[in-house]
Amino acid sequence: MNSSNELDKRTLSLKRIIDAPVEIVWEAWTQPDHIAQWWGPKGMQTKVIEHQFEVGGSWKFTMEMPNGAEFISEGVFAEISPLKKIVTSAEFKPMTTGVQLQALFQAQGEKTIFTFNVVHPTEAYCKQQEKMGFMNGWGSVFNNLEDYVSVMSQ
Amino acid sequence: MRRDVFQAIADPVRRDIIKLLSKQSLSVNSVAKQFEVSRPAISKHLKILKECGLIEVTQQGRERFCFIQPANLLPAFLWIEQYRELWEERLDSFEQYVIELKNEKK
Repeated sequence: MNSSNELDKRTLSLKRIIDAPVEIVWEAWTQPDHIAQWWGPKGMQTKVIEHQFEVGGSWKFTMEMPNGAEFISEGVFAEISPLKKIVTSAEFKPMTTGVQLQALFQAQGEKTIFTFNVVHPTEAYCKQQEKMGFMNGWGSVFNNLEDYVSVMSQ
Repeated sequence: MRRDVFQAIADPVRRDIIKLLSKQSLSVNSVAKQFEVSRPAISKHLKILKECGLIEVTQQGRERFCFIQPANLLPAFLWIEQYRELWEERLDSFEQYVIELKNEKK
């Protein structure tokens, strides 16, 4: 198994062609006033606590659940390339930690091709394991799984 | 205590045991010999793996053999899918908002 396959397995990749120019898509994705409007599910208010939009800057959003519990999303920007790309770490407490989010913007006339990748936390873990030769072992586990799935689907 | 695949793979020694057993079935003794950690520690890891449903242990003659149960490892590789819906909804909401924003700017 090669590493790009491995990356695919823990990356959730979503793609949208949005009927708006890239400047507007970028603005809606990056400005706190806008983010508060779309980040949370309907009926749930999002508060942008912090949003230092620069490499190394941190962001933090909270959403209050109907039962009073708070959902916290936060992270640190790792890469910002205006109108093109944003990479940030992300923690979604209490569900998921150590995620990387990649937002890719590509202008196509008056439309925008928007690609969103959520790279899940096994990354650091996999890298560390890879050094110890662990991926070879997972490779065979995956092979076993593939065999199993192909048997099941027959 | 939680007993599922995530608990099973949470420990580095258990991951190594899974790795080992995914190549071949081994006796408990052979597994123990591969590790620096104590025999009781290995027994405990094997017990947890068994409780998590990742291995089966069967008596064969004088030896107890461990077999990997690959089907039960599936959730670890599929859990990412659980988050797809959440992000799809968020991007729907984003897309809708962008269109509204565009119309406001006209």
